[in-house]
Amino acid sequence: MSEPDSPRWLDEIAGELRREVPVRPAWRARLLDEVARAPKPSMRDDVDHRLDERARYADRPRWSVTFGPLGSLAAATLLVALGAGATYLAMSRAGANASQRSAQTTAAREGSPQLVSDAPPSAEREVVRFELSAPRASHVALVGSFNEWNPVATPLSRDPASGKWVVSLLLPPGRHVYAFVVDGDVKTDPSAPRAADNDFGSPNSVVFVSSPRV
Amino acid sequence: MSVRLLALAVAFAASAGAAGAQDVDRTLPSQLSAPTRATLERLIDSARVAGLPVDPLYSKVREGVFRSAEEPRLIAAVQRLTRDLGDARAALGDSAGAEEIAAGANALRAGLHSADLSRLRESRGRRADHPLTVALVVLADLATRGVPPAMAAASVNELVARNVSDGSLLSFRQNVERDLVGGRSPASALDARTRAMIDDERRRP
Repeated sequence: MSEPDSPRWLDEIAGELRREVPVRPAWRARLLDEVARAPKPSMRDDVDHRLDERARYADRPRWSVTFGPLGSLAAATLLVALGAGATYLAMSRAGANASQRSAQTTAAREGSPQLVSDAPPSAEREVVRFELSAPRASHVALVGSFNEWNPVATPLSRDPASGKWVVSLLLPPGRHVYAFVVDGDVKTDPSAPRAADNDFGSPNSVVFVSSPRV
Repeated sequence: MSVRLLALAVAFAASAGAAGAQDVDRTLPSQLSAPTRATLERLIDSARVAGLPVDPLYSKVREGVFRSAEEPRLIAAVQRLTRDLGDARAALGDSAGAEEIAAGANALRAGLHSADLSRLRESRGRRADHPLTVALVVLADLATRGVPPAMAAASVNELVARNVSDGSLLSFRQNVERDLVGGRSPASALDARTRAMIDDERRRP
C-alpha cells in the first residue's frame, strides 16, 4: 500500500521494513511455549506488588521526636502558656473594642447612630453591646441569627451601675436579626430598627455591623 | 508525645484566640420531622442553585423552631422568604451582595415595591464598596412603624441620592421614631426630618 503522492523509493523502503523477519520454525515454537507456560499476571499480583512497595516505604526511617517524662511536662506547660496567651490577647482585643463600643453607645443617646460599628479597618468582628431596660425581669437572654436562636446561649447580666441588662458580643459585619427573651417572653429592642418579617407572632430587631472596608 | 500530637495541640492553642467566633449553622434542626426537613432542604437547595443567600433561610428555620412554630407555618415562612429574596435580587441587580438582598427582602416584606428598591439602586449606583443595606434597613423600619411605604421610599431615596452616610441614615431613622413616639404624624415627621437632614448635608463642608 503506497501513499498516492509518495515517491517510489520511499514505498520500497517501507515495503522492506514491513517484511516479516524470517525466524526458524523451531525457535518460534519454543518462544510460544515459553509464553504459554508463563503465569498470567493477576489483580492479586498487582496488589501484592503494591503492598510490598508500601512495606518497603514503611521500613524507611521517619522523622520523629520523642519526649521523655520531663520533656512531655515541659511541652504541656508550653502549650498551656500558648493557649493562655492567645486567649489573653483575644480578651484584651475584645475589651478594647468593648470600650470603644461603649463610648459610642453613650454618644448614641445624644443622637448619633446606635449599634453601628466604626471599627478600624483591621478588625474582622466587632464587639456589639446589647442593653435592655427591664427592671422587674428576673432573666433576660438574647436570641438571633448570630446564635442560632438559642435562648440559653447568650444570657444578659444586670449592670450594677445602670441597672440595665447588658451583654457584649463579637459579631461579623452584616445585618443581624435578633430579639430579647424576657422571662420567657420575646421582646423587640426598643432602641433598634425593626425587621418586617413577622412570621411567628412578634417582630424582631435588626443590628447592622458595617464592613471594615466601608 | 509525638510531633503530630504536638502540632495538633499548638493548632488548638492558636484557635483559642478566635474564641467567640459565630458562624451560621447550615444544618436543619433535628426537632423537625423528616418530611419537613426534606421539604426545607429542597427549598434551600433551589435557592442555592438560584444564587440566593441561604443563611437567612437557615436562620428563619431556627427562629421558627425557637418560637415553637407549627411545621406548615415554618415551611410557609421559608417559602415566602425565598420568594422575597428572589424578588429583591431581581430589583437590586445581580451585583447585589447577600446582605443587601436580605435587607431588600425585608423591605419588600414591609410593603415596599420592587420598583422602590430599583430606584434606590439607581440613586446609589452599583458601587460594591457602598452597599444599600443600611438604607434598606431604615426603609423597612420606617414602613413597619406606620410610615406609608411610598413616602418612606421617596424620603430615603432623596437622602441616598445626596450621598447621606449610613450613620446619618440611622440618625434620621431614630429621629423619625422619636417624633412618632411623641405623637407626630408619620407624614409630618418624615417630611420635617428629611428636610433637616438635607439642610445638615448642605451645611457640611
